[in-house]
Amino acid sequence: MEALTQYSNYIVLAITQIIWLGLFIYMLSVDKKIKNIEKK
Amino acid sequence: MDKLLKYGLFVWLAVVICFAIVAPIPAVGTMGERARILYFHVPTAWVSTVAFIMALFYGAQYIRKRDILYDYKAASAAALGLLFAILATVTGAIWAKFEWGAFWNWDPRQTSIFVLILVYGAYFALRSAVESEEQRAKLSSVYSILAGITVPFFVFIFPRIVDSLHPDPIVNSSGKVKMDTYMLIVFLSSLAGFTGLFVWMLNLRVRIAKLNMKENQA
Repeated sequence: MEALTQYSNYIVLAITQIIWLGLFIYMLSVDKKIKNIEKK
Repeated sequence: MDKLLKYGLFVWLAVVICFAIVAPIPAVGTMGERARILYFHVPTAWVSTVAFIMALFYGAQYIRKRDILYDYKAASAAALGLLFAILATVTGAIWAKFEWGAFWNWDPRQTSIFVLILVYGAYFALRSAVESEEQRAKLSSVYSILAGITVPFFVFIFPRIVDSLHPDPIVNSSGKVKMDTYMLIVFLSSLAGFTGLFVWMLNLRVRIAKLNMKENQA
């Protein structure tokens, strides 16, 4: 429990970065799909 | 170039997130670590305001030019504005729980953003209630103009004329910025990153709308 409190900022940082990475990959793939349809 | 901008945005926001969450923060009143919410809460509120104003602009463009694409652009901007307004409300409520002791206090800032969410929720209710595309575009464009006019009042005027527990806005009533230089740099970087993210999201939504339009016409 103490470790959780001590490293809370780093835990929040890791979670936020994972969410941002997920959102970025999702948006990139949507972008790519749209581009492919536009080309057709 | 296009790809470079997207990857650039990814790196930019990833670095901003690191600075916002881990880097030491100067003392801001009695807030301590809770002041970090500023780096996420204010940019989401800012983006929602920009989006609502853009919805007003595109609504007016539709009325002028009668091009259905402007209606799609207005609806896309309003949808993203609503999403970011909800994010600002949720982040604000979480902060309020720790700072004020309750998630919801009907503070002027909370009330004004709640009213804006209702106003733009009604915009989408209106859109879904009209079947004819042209009629829907006309009505919702007029509505987005009227709703957009209320945005500066709810965001900039109302919270400043009523007593509030909410911390001072970044630009205070005397028109000056009261913020530590280091915090200001991280904050402005976050603001730029969130604005870039919004522009990309809007671009995707508008392109999807264009494809739908083409499919409907075919």
